[in-house]
Parts: sequence; structure tokens; C-alpha cells
Amino acid sequence: MSVTDAREEALATEPGSAPASGAPIRQTNLWKDAWRRYVRNRAATLAGVVFVVVLLYCLVAPILSPYDPNKINFTIASQTPTLDHPFGTDKFGRDLFTRTALGGRVSILIGFGATLAILLIGVVYGSISGFVGGRLDNGLMRFLDALYGLPYLPFAIITLQIIGRTDMWTMMIALSIASWFTTARIVRGQVLSLKENDYVRAAKAVGARWYRILGRHLLPNTLGVLIIAIFLELPGVILGEAFLSFIGLGISPPDASWGAMAQEGRTVFRSHPTAIIVPSVAIATLVLCANFVADGLRDALDPRTRET
Amino acid sequence: MALLEVNDLRTHFFTREGTVRAVDGVSFSVEKGKTLGIVGESGCGKSVTALSIMGLIPKPPAKIVSGSVLYEGRDLTTLSERQLEDLRGREIAMIFQDPMTSLNPTLTIGTQITETIRRHYDVSQKQADKKAIELLEKVRIPRASERLGDYPHRFSGGMRQRVMIAIALSCDPKLLIADEPTTALDVTVQASVLDLLEDLRAEYDMSMIIITHDMGVVAEAADDIIVMYAGQVVEQASTLDLFDNPEHPYTEALLGALPQLEGANVREGRLTAIPGRPPDLIDPPKACRFGPRCPHAGSDDCTVHEPQLRELRPGHWVRSSHPASERTGTRRPEGAPV
Repeated sequence: MSVTDAREEALATEPGSAPASGAPIRQTNLWKDAWRRYVRNRAATLAGVVFVVVLLYCLVAPILSPYDPNKINFTIASQTPTLDHPFGTDKFGRDLFTRTALGGRVSILIGFGATLAILLIGVVYGSISGFVGGRLDNGLMRFLDALYGLPYLPFAIITLQIIGRTDMWTMMIALSIASWFTTARIVRGQVLSLKENDYVRAAKAVGARWYRILGRHLLPNTLGVLIIAIFLELPGVILGEAFLSFIGLGISPPDASWGAMAQEGRTVFRSHPTAIIVPSVAIATLVLCANFVADGLRDALDPRTRET
Repeated sequence: MALLEVNDLRTHFFTREGTVRAVDGVSFSVEKGKTLGIVGESGCGKSVTALSIMGLIPKPPAKIVSGSVLYEGRDLTTLSERQLEDLRGREIAMIFQDPMTSLNPTLTIGTQITETIRRHYDVSQKQADKKAIELLEKVRIPRASERLGDYPHRFSGGMRQRVMIAIALSCDPKLLIADEPTTALDVTVQASVLDLLEDLRAEYDMSMIIITHDMGVVAEAADDIIVMYAGQVVEQASTLDLFDNPEHPYTEALLGALPQLEGANVREGRLTAIPGRPPDLIDPPKACRFGPRCPHAGSDDCTVHEPQLRELRPGHWVRSSHPASERTGTRRPEGAPV
């Protein structure tokens, strides 16, 4: 009889054998627990729902919309919201409902892309530093201390100037290049404390190699912290993108991002405030939601805040 | 030839406060199929000795400054980290004191066992699963095949230590080092885990080193015992000889601190504690390290000459100027204040 047979048979007889071992234990695991605790947090749940709604809107609205987001039509320029144009139109007569969704795609994509880049650099740098320890750790951390002095946005601007090209990819690079320091520190701290665990020593005692210890025992246990880090970094990056586009260094017309749209709206904000209010509210909503989600996740994933 | 031969091992910790001589000239050997017990109080260098054999001492600050660890004739202290990794688990395995923290809480025990198997053997996951179930049955975990997918938190302390034993045995090592294997367990569970260890040692024809501060544990499990004090071996003998005729004053004191429930000379009243504290290993006493606490230390050479380990009678080694069998008249009457 093969192993799987034995296991299947064992599973099949589970209900019958349960009385022998007392009441059946309710299966639970970290993620189910975390989900339960997250849902209990009303603000975080609401923020999560809004976040998903915004994402869906950005994804779906341009597909369903009857309007060409880049078509200029001055006969309907600067309209206030109507049934045909729920968010109104901008000074070129483009439908803001469609353009906001498109701009959201760009903003959110840049946000997530830069955040992932931040995580990637941070995890690699932090885990090497924490895992190797000793002098290398000391050196890497002092280097990081020096980098901490770099102001985030000016550094992003300089990076964009050096690359000399502005599109989604260069924006991601510019926004992540000076903001991965905190993530690296978090990961390094986690790895540093996790590697003192008895199970790491036990794994070494049966011959586990370093990559196995790092990949199996250390990094998976930093996952909770990393998920929180995603939602903590996201608002900063989205705001950064909006700022760069707003001062004209980011996404340039006719492409849209929320920052670029706000910049276009700025010129007409006295006569037609909708054009600046819509993208601004969109940015604020997303950032606020991301912050609440991060807060909820932190409470849900940190076992120390665990209540029964 | 002995399976493991430790010669004059010295492991020191280089700290800011000074050099801690945690293991300071320890020698012993473990024969094939035998169990060696290492006894001593906290901080006497038992665990550091074991970790030095495995090459798992934290460096820095620790360093093996001299001595050799011959395993089947190979000096482990000269091997590269890579060679040591291949050896660990496959030739020498180790289990640790606290089973509650020695298993990764985020991996199923099946994963943790099969990973070790597949680290050392080129087998499929299916074969590894099968072997894992066999191992769990060997360590007497009921319904082994069902428990493979369970996470460690669903096991009790004793069961987890059994799982640790299963992991340690998964690659058929020739030497098993058990560092305080029962200390963190309930008294009732202790005995069953010790029995299990002994049964498995016989079945797998392994040698075993049991490290403990519990004289009861070594009395039950070990063939030979070494008693360590302040980084040195102070007495070495077969288990029977050591318990019947302890020679070193420290061993006598350890046995005196043990409660006895039955036997010819059951003491009444309070257990005798050893006065004083173990010496500071940064600056140990120049001569006899047990001298300051020894009830027999005279004004003679105890404070001048460091006693050497000498063979008092065949197989019974002691490091003391006043072993019990050489004492005449100097012995304080039982119960007298020290």
C-alpha cells in the first residue's frame, strides 16, 4: 500500500476515529485567524472594501465607458457633473469619469510597482545584513544610516533627470530608489531575531544549508511584516507620484495620472473646481484606505495583539 | 577505535569582559554502541562541549582554541563548514532541550522530517513521506500517517520531543547527542522519552551522548559518566562505579544533593546543598577549581597546584587531591558545618 493510500484511508476514517480522541478540533491556521481578526476591525474592513472598489473602478470603467478618454471636444468642455458625465469633463471636453479611472490605473500601477521594488531591494539588503551579521551587517547598516539623510523627493527628481525619460518604469525606479531603507531595516531586524530561534539551530544540527535556513525558516516568517510594509509604503509612493506629476516632472499629457490630472485642474480651479477635486479626492481616498488597511493588517497579523 | 574521541578540547568565548574559558581541556571518548553521560551544573561547559563537537558554537565570540574532535579518525575541528553540514544529521545528530521552540511553528512536522531526509538522501517526496511515517511510528506517535500534516502547535511537549527525535534519527546517524533531552518535560513524560531513546539507540546501533544536570537521568541511561565542573572533567567512571564509589568531592556533593527514597543508607532530614557558587570562568581559581567550595580543601597544595586528571583505579579517573578513597581522617564528620 502506498503512502498516499494510507493517508487517504486515514482521512476517510477521520469522523469515525474522532470520538476516540475526544471532540474534533476546529482546524485553524494563521491566515484564517488573521482574517477573522481583520474582519472584526470595522474601519479596516470598510477601507479594504473601498480600496477594492476603487481598484475595480480603475480596471473596469475605461472598458465600459463610451467615451474616448483622449478625444478633445471643446463643445462640452468644463462641464459640471451630469448623468452623461458623472465627474464632469475637463477643459478639453474629455470625460473625467473615464480619465480618472485611467489615471488611477497609472497611479496605482506605479504605486504597486515601486512598492514591490522597494520590498525586493529591502528584503535582499536586509536579509543579507541580518543573516550574515557581524562586520558586514555593521557596514551595511552604517551605509544605510548615511543614505537615510537623502531627502526622498529631491532624490527622485534627480534620478528622473539623470535617466532623462519619464514613463511608468522610470517613475517606479525614481520613487523606489530612495525609499527602501525602512523596509531593509525592518527585514534585517526580523531576520536578526528569528535566526536566534531554537528551530534554526535545530535545523543546522541536522545539516540544513544557509539558503534553506534563510528561505524556509527566516523569510517566510517575515511575510506578515512584509504585507504590512506593502500597505505602509503604498501611500507614500502614490503621494510621491502625484507630487512629481503635479509639478510637471511625472506623467505628461495626454497620458493621465491622478497627479497629472490635478495639475491640469489647477489651472482652472476657480472657474471649474471639479477638475481638481476629483483626482485629489481619488488620491486621498486611496491613501487613506491603504493606511487603514495597513493598520488593520498589523493588528491582525501580530500575534501579540491576538485576542480570543 | 572509539567512534568519537575528544582530546584536550578548549573552547573559549572572547568577550568584552575577557576570555571565558567555557571548555578548558576536556577529553573523553565514546565507544560504538555505548552511551556516555555528561553531568554538571549550569554553565560548566556541557552544552558548549556538545556544540563544539557539532561545530555549532557561535563564532564569534566563541572559538575552539586547541584540541581535536576525532570522529571515525577525522578531526572535525579542521573540516570546512560545508563538510560539517554534510556530516550533521547524517553522521552526528543532536536534539535540544526545549521541544516547544525547536520546531518551526510555520511548517508541518511532515515537512520538517522529510526535508531532513531529502537533505541527505536522494529520494522522492513520496519515499520521504513513507520514511517519515515509519519514523513517527518508531517514536511511538499514535496515528502517525494522519499527523504528518499537522503543525507543531497540535503536539504536546513530550510528543514534540519525540518528533525531534524522529528528525534526528531520520538519516540514521551513528552518534546522537542529546542535550538535556528531558529537562523541559514533565516528570512522567521524562521516563518514557528516556526509555524511547535507549530503545532506539539499541535498535539503530548508535552511540549516544546524554548531557544533563540530572543524576537520575544518567543513572538510568548511561554506560559511562563524566562529571564536568567549571569547564573541566573532574571525574570519569562507569555509571555503577561512579554511583557506588564517587571519588571527587564535587561528585559526592552532587549525589548528596539528590533525594533518595529508598536504599540502605537513606538520609533523613534536609538535602545537602553545595555551598558557594561556581567560579567565574573568565578568571577561574589558579589551582583546584573546586577548591573554594570543597569541604576537604586544606591549606596544602589545593591552592597551589592544579590537580591533574589521574586514573585512581582502572577506568576511574578523577581530578582531585583528595579523592574519597585516599582520604584518611581528614574527612569532616557527616553533617558538620562547612
